[in-house]
Amino acid sequence: MAETEETLKRIQAHKGVVATMVVNAEGIPIRTTLDNSTTVHYAGLLHQLTMKARSTVRDIDPQNDLTFLRIRSKKHEIMVAPDKEYLLIVIQNPSE
Amino acid sequence: MLPSLKPSRAAAALPRGAAQGRRGCGLRQKLRTAFGSRKNVSILGRSHILTSMGTAVQKAAQEHRQHDVRVFDDEGKDVTPHPLFRPDPKTAAPKQSKLLAFSDSSGAAGSVFLPFSIYQTSEEDGRSVAPHSRTSESSRISKSTMSITESVLDGIAESGSLQDTAVSSPDVQVRREEIKEQLTEEDLDKRVDIYLTETETLRMLDLPTVVVSVESEDAARVLERNKIYVDVCKNRPGNDRFVEKMMQTINGATKNKKVQCDKIIMEDKGIVVTTWDLYDSYNTPQVEPTSKAEGSRAPTEKRSTSSVTKDQATPAAAERGSITSTTILESAGLARVHEEEKCHTEATLRSENFQQNLFFMERILMENIFQHKLAAYRQFPVLTDPVVTLEAGSTLAAIKEAEQEEHDKKNMDKKEQKEMLSDPSILPELNKTSDEMVPPSLEQLWSYRCDLTHQHNVSSMAWSKVNLDLLAVGYGAFDFKEQKEGLACCWSLKNPMWPERIFQCEHGVTALDFSMATPNLLAAGMYNGTIVVYNVQSSDSTTEFHSGECSAKHTGPVWQLKWVELDIGTTEGNKRERLISISADGRITQWLIQEGLGCIDLMKIKRTRSKKENLPAEKERKSEALISQWAAGMCFDFHPKDTYLYLAGTEEGLIHKCSRSCNRQFLKTYRGHKGPVYKVAWNPFTTDTFLSCSVDWSVILWHQNSQSPILTFSSTTTVVHDIMWSPKSAFIFAAASESKVEIWDLRISILDPVITRFADPEAKFTSVLFAKNTDCLLVGDSRGEVSVFELQDLAAGSSNEVDALNDVIGPALFPVAK
Repeated sequence: MAETEETLKRIQAHKGVVATMVVNAEGIPIRTTLDNSTTVHYAGLLHQLTMKARSTVRDIDPQNDLTFLRIRSKKHEIMVAPDKEYLLIVIQNPSE
Repeated sequence: MLPSLKPSRAAAALPRGAAQGRRGCGLRQKLRTAFGSRKNVSILGRSHILTSMGTAVQKAAQEHRQHDVRVFDDEGKDVTPHPLFRPDPKTAAPKQSKLLAFSDSSGAAGSVFLPFSIYQTSEEDGRSVAPHSRTSESSRISKSTMSITESVLDGIAESGSLQDTAVSSPDVQVRREEIKEQLTEEDLDKRVDIYLTETETLRMLDLPTVVVSVESEDAARVLERNKIYVDVCKNRPGNDRFVEKMMQTINGATKNKKVQCDKIIMEDKGIVVTTWDLYDSYNTPQVEPTSKAEGSRAPTEKRSTSSVTKDQATPAAAERGSITSTTILESAGLARVHEEEKCHTEATLRSENFQQNLFFMERILMENIFQHKLAAYRQFPVLTDPVVTLEAGSTLAAIKEAEQEEHDKKNMDKKEQKEMLSDPSILPELNKTSDEMVPPSLEQLWSYRCDLTHQHNVSSMAWSKVNLDLLAVGYGAFDFKEQKEGLACCWSLKNPMWPERIFQCEHGVTALDFSMATPNLLAAGMYNGTIVVYNVQSSDSTTEFHSGECSAKHTGPVWQLKWVELDIGTTEGNKRERLISISADGRITQWLIQEGLGCIDLMKIKRTRSKKENLPAEKERKSEALISQWAAGMCFDFHPKDTYLYLAGTEEGLIHKCSRSCNRQFLKTYRGHKGPVYKVAWNPFTTDTFLSCSVDWSVILWHQNSQSPILTFSSTTTVVHDIMWSPKSAFIFAAASESKVEIWDLRISILDPVITRFADPEAKFTSVLFAKNTDCLLVGDSRGEVSVFELQDLAAGSSNEVDALNDVIGPALFPVAK
């Protein structure tokens, strides 16, 4: 548990990291560095996208599964580590 | 025909309206339902009872509905018209018997069922019900009806007034609720089997056809009959046998009958079937119908993608059915869900999956941050992000082209440089390319550092033998005065900001090496002489082996450790790996890993008396007692080809060539250094030469046949801590002195280094390490940083290096070889 906390703190403290969020399967934030409404907004949208991505991956090969999702946009990179019970979301500004 | 039943008090107040309602859902009643769902029916009926009882209370006095009218003819026979819907008495019979039994067992509650089904099954029962309502009105009528109809009404006398029924109904109601409560709690999780059966086909209208096909079997007969009929019709008019007569019939009054049923609730259910859905359904084991399973299946349904709790609540609510109890139990359910949620969040944070995901996330973040540097490390061409550099509105294509041009040019430059460097004579002629020629340099890519290692002196570095991206760094002070706790960290290329493994040690770590045979073992030597072996697969600091228990442990700091593959035994191919250490107590020991560390001394370094001439005045010195018989060993290196041969450097400044087969005598002693020798290294390409560095500010190149130095490189005015030959070229080596790190290329110059890199004023470089799989140099300093430098524009080796090296050192060798 302590190691998890430490790692989470390190991630939050990295240069360029805009936000770190851990959201459970219902969209309720467990840990977040943003305000609640934004977190819920992100969580809802990314949940749907993750579902779709997972469906795509598994449709092609049912034995495969989605492990990580990265969305690179003009301003940021959104990285999502999906799981059955939670979503780990980190938003980074890679050019800094 | 009438069943002999005990009617209930509740039944007494049952008006026709409710009965009618019951009839409407008679079809539903036909379903043979299990116990659990029967209560559904009963509940619905209960609501009806409630409503109907309410109305009964109000309208009891006004009971004068036509439907309750019972028609009696003069003789008093009951000629009430039959109801339109007449269910099959056959199927009704067993039900009645069931109910019979049921009524016997449970009192008022059970009998609630009775009136409904009784009413359904036969119209005679309706007769039994009606008089109950009637009894409220007048006893006279009841008496009369009782006298007329038999059996069922035996117990009616008890249920006298409306008052009683009104009173009893709440009782019944309460009791019914209680019983219902019990059931719901117990049966909530039970599997409820619902059997759906078809009812019998009810023929409302049957119009047989009057048309027969010509080809059917009866056709002939029908035709014949038709013919006869035609004949009869023909004969009719004027025939005496036919007489016309008229008759008047009574046309019965038409009656409209309406039935109202409950609204049939329709539900749409849809699923998007995907390949993986099918795969999952076939392959996952039977999952218990827990709420979690429901929640996980929910996303596949088209209609809801909402939260797990909602899905939990809705099926549960559907099961419970009634309005009042739903609210009670839902709130209880929600409270339960809340607690579950709290435990859930804790569990998710603690789960291993989460930790792993965090681990990956960190690595990916690092990749984003360090992407360019890592690409340079791996010697990939570095592409800049076009979006980032898009400022002046130039097109993407243009920029890419420009990059390509630059890159091409750089490649060309490199090639030209290589040609130039290998052939120095052409150098002055290439004027046009002189301004493009870039001198070799070190470019810093990144440095491994973190808060934990801050201000710990880097004493040693070692690559893993298997994974060339895994670096072990030992932190420990060299000085006696600066001793504090030491660290051994394993750094990975994928995360330059935090080490993968951290091993805390009580004493400063002065030597490190990874094993080859068992690549997960890391041996560390400490300032107090202990040697520990860590297993890097585990992340805690427990040691696999500790030399503390060994009786022959070192008593001085272990200055160097190496895992060496030695030829053991007489056969050539028999190679075993042994851990060899040298320490300040003058011993070179070989350690065996067999359930603990066992050691054998390979050599004890005796102090050798210096061979300088003694001036007469110093004659007394010889008789002085020496503090120790053994000279402190500082470094050693095994010959790359011959594993019996090794060199050892001592604190006295001497380098001894020794053999494993003889542990008392040195084969040769090389004198040249004036201070302790910190490092010796055999040249990995030409196995006759070796390099040594020492406190006396110099680096000396030796040939093993000559006991005096071949070449001396003294370009610094500080202690040279570390040297290493480049794994790619026989001419290149790196030297770390405190204030700077130098790269020497012996083909270019033997007087000056080709690259010099100065250290920050506060830091002192203490160790160097070449990377094997890339052109990079790692330099550790006294602040705890390990900087990674890229060697740029340094010439690669050519094939005839060995000869070239001999050419270089030849002139120096000749005077001695004689």
